[in-house]
Amino acid sequence: MIVSELSPEELASRLASPGLRLRTGPVVTRIQSRLTSVVQGVALHYAHYAVEGEGSFADFRVRVASPHSLRRWLKPQVYFHFDGASPFLPLPANQAFAMLEWGLNWCVSNHCHQYLIIHAAAVERSGLALLLPGPPGSGKSTLCAGLASRGWRLLCDELTLLDLATGSVVPLPRPISLKNESIDVIRRFAPEARLNPPVHDTVKGSVAHMKAPEQSVIRGAEPARPRWVVLPRFERGATVSLEQQSRARTFMRLAENAFNYDVHGRRGFELLANLIATSDCFECRFSLLEDAVEALDGLARRT
Amino acid sequence: MSSLSALRWRTTPIDAIAWREWDGEYVVRSERSGNTHLLGPLAGRVLQVLLDASSALNSDDIAAELSDELAATDAAERKAAIEAALSEFKRLGLAEPVQE
Amino acid sequence: MEPLLLALRDPEALLGLKLPQWEVLVNQARRANLLSRVAAGFDRDGLLREVPVAPRAHLLAARALAQAQADAVRREIAAIDRSLAATGAPVVLLKGAAYLLAGLPAARGRLFTDIDILVPRAALAEVEAALMLAGWAGMKTTPYDQRYYRRWMHELPPLKHIARQTVLDVHHAILPLTARLKPDSAKLLAASRTLPGEPRLRVLAPVDMVLHSATHLFCNEDVGNSLRDLVDLDSLLCCFGNKKGFWPALSARAAELDLTRPFYYALRYVQPILNTPVPAQVLRDAEIGRPPSALRGLMDAIFFRTLQPDRAAATDGLASLARGSLYVRAHWLRMPPLLLALHLTSKALRREQ
Repeated sequence: MIVSELSPEELASRLASPGLRLRTGPVVTRIQSRLTSVVQGVALHYAHYAVEGEGSFADFRVRVASPHSLRRWLKPQVYFHFDGASPFLPLPANQAFAMLEWGLNWCVSNHCHQYLIIHAAAVERSGLALLLPGPPGSGKSTLCAGLASRGWRLLCDELTLLDLATGSVVPLPRPISLKNESIDVIRRFAPEARLNPPVHDTVKGSVAHMKAPEQSVIRGAEPARPRWVVLPRFERGATVSLEQQSRARTFMRLAENAFNYDVHGRRGFELLANLIATSDCFECRFSLLEDAVEALDGLARRT
Repeated sequence: MSSLSALRWRTTPIDAIAWREWDGEYVVRSERSGNTHLLGPLAGRVLQVLLDASSALNSDDIAAELSDELAATDAAERKAAIEAALSEFKRLGLAEPVQE
Repeated sequence: MEPLLLALRDPEALLGLKLPQWEVLVNQARRANLLSRVAAGFDRDGLLREVPVAPRAHLLAARALAQAQADAVRREIAAIDRSLAATGAPVVLLKGAAYLLAGLPAARGRLFTDIDILVPRAALAEVEAALMLAGWAGMKTTPYDQRYYRRWMHELPPLKHIARQTVLDVHHAILPLTARLKPDSAKLLAASRTLPGEPRLRVLAPVDMVLHSATHLFCNEDVGNSLRDLVDLDSLLCCFGNKKGFWPALSARAAELDLTRPFYYALRYVQPILNTPVPAQVLRDAEIGRPPSALRGLMDAIFFRTLQPDRAAATDGLASLARGSLYVRAHWLRMPPLLLALHLTSKALRREQ
């Protein structure tokens, strides 16, 4: 069963209690929340995602809730609870859905050591994966959203999961988080894309999430073999360029951007080395999203 | 002359250091420190020479091994560069001088 | 019985569990910082492949984490050893670091936080100087904190290595100077043992390891890891309990070191909760440390509660598992620090721990 098959009342009721068992890629999360914005966010972004039954195994149990105190009326806030504890300070209530998304990322990046996890977006074409490791401001998510709207299958936006045995990318399709100007850029670039209303004044500025394309969810169990590693570099006014990068330096960049590289020790080293050995590495400097997407399409065609 | 110029490993050489090379640049992981490093072409080759050697080597020995590759540089410069690499290895825990 | 306790006592009994029960187990074990320990139990009995694939992934993940931590601890100990070689002072490893280097079952699947060492009080100044030279720096920097630690506590203020960001606690006694109990450190040092292949590092004698573990558990304010500490104790008792003469020596040593009270509690709780085999005579001997009934009732209430895996979502102060959580101590694994935390969750979100 998928989320959209639940009526709005059923969805709200299940989220309230005992929780919605949502499958995202290989991860099942029991999500609990009574907050309207969370219910709406889930209804929108997770419409096509599978719901597991009460007899299933949930990898994580999370809850997004307001505190039980007078505070909830004076200055509305929300907490993210994981396994009963709240590891984070609260956020303003209007950021509840964003908090859920950040919290889900945190759960995976801190616990899923059955994978080597890289802080990167990834998209797929013809069974081959393009990795986009990038710090904030690099344009990673904008580029990822752009590619996912132009025929590439979204594998993930933030957390690239690498299978330890095969080195393949295991998809974790989730909403793509967009900030500030990217929101408008994507609205123009992909008018058909579904975005929830932006939340303003977060620590990162304005934040909105783009719904993962349906195909990426339906095909969420299909891994992809890494083939390109592209470091995005957004630079206002820059002419688009795709410059080959040193493999060794790209290796270091991946290791630095991996959440659990050290957990895997020698094995992590070998895994990343094999990935680099069989991938072409580039830096993509761009100002206009269209140009960057076209350049990467060209790259895929040439290979 | 320099005590830096002869080296030995405290742990098993083959297992303790993992490395890969692409286009002359090296990435290296030391089991002993748990750290991963990027090495340039010269440093990488020096490390390779040490890893391949069956006994401790001094900088002249290493220079001899690399003489073909470094034919274009002058001998003093070559030795200085090698010793700089060895010094860096010591700092990084990748290699160390034997106690004579 | 709660799945977590069952997993600690008898992993094989869990194999018939349904997925929702596995979910409870993983949840409880994670909260108690015992998931890797549970994984080690299944591993030891060759049962990992019998675990259903979804929960098994978590056990494997926890096992990888524990292994990485153990490797990091070994590296750190080697660095500490090198730094203190010139002082000539005996360095006794305590708790997890000791179990690891001594190859004890108590180390299997254990998660580590800081490294603790015991040195003679007379050597403290020299040890501190050598560590500073090698790159450790005091973490508590206010004069008040410094005075507090040096005067009243049983250790130097915690030291952090500038480059590696690892934390080292240097003790000269196993309890604060202000504690009512005063176990004699000189005796602990005198009875300490060397380790195979290690010229300088030492560990406590088996009976002392057990008593230190008991003391740590029952005199320590950090009750967040209580079940984890009890698991250590159980493991030590099971491992040493088979050695001839161990039990009488343990009872005698508890009296000698003035630790009969924690010893009493240790046996009182480890047996019912983890089913540790303790000879009846030893339990009788330990009665000497029994507290007045009212106090005992209170301790029972606290510890049977604290030591029970917590099912409910709401946690009170005692059973709160945010303390000592491995999620916060990322320094062991050199995770790309704030860069990623910043991006994912915003620095403003992270609770100060």
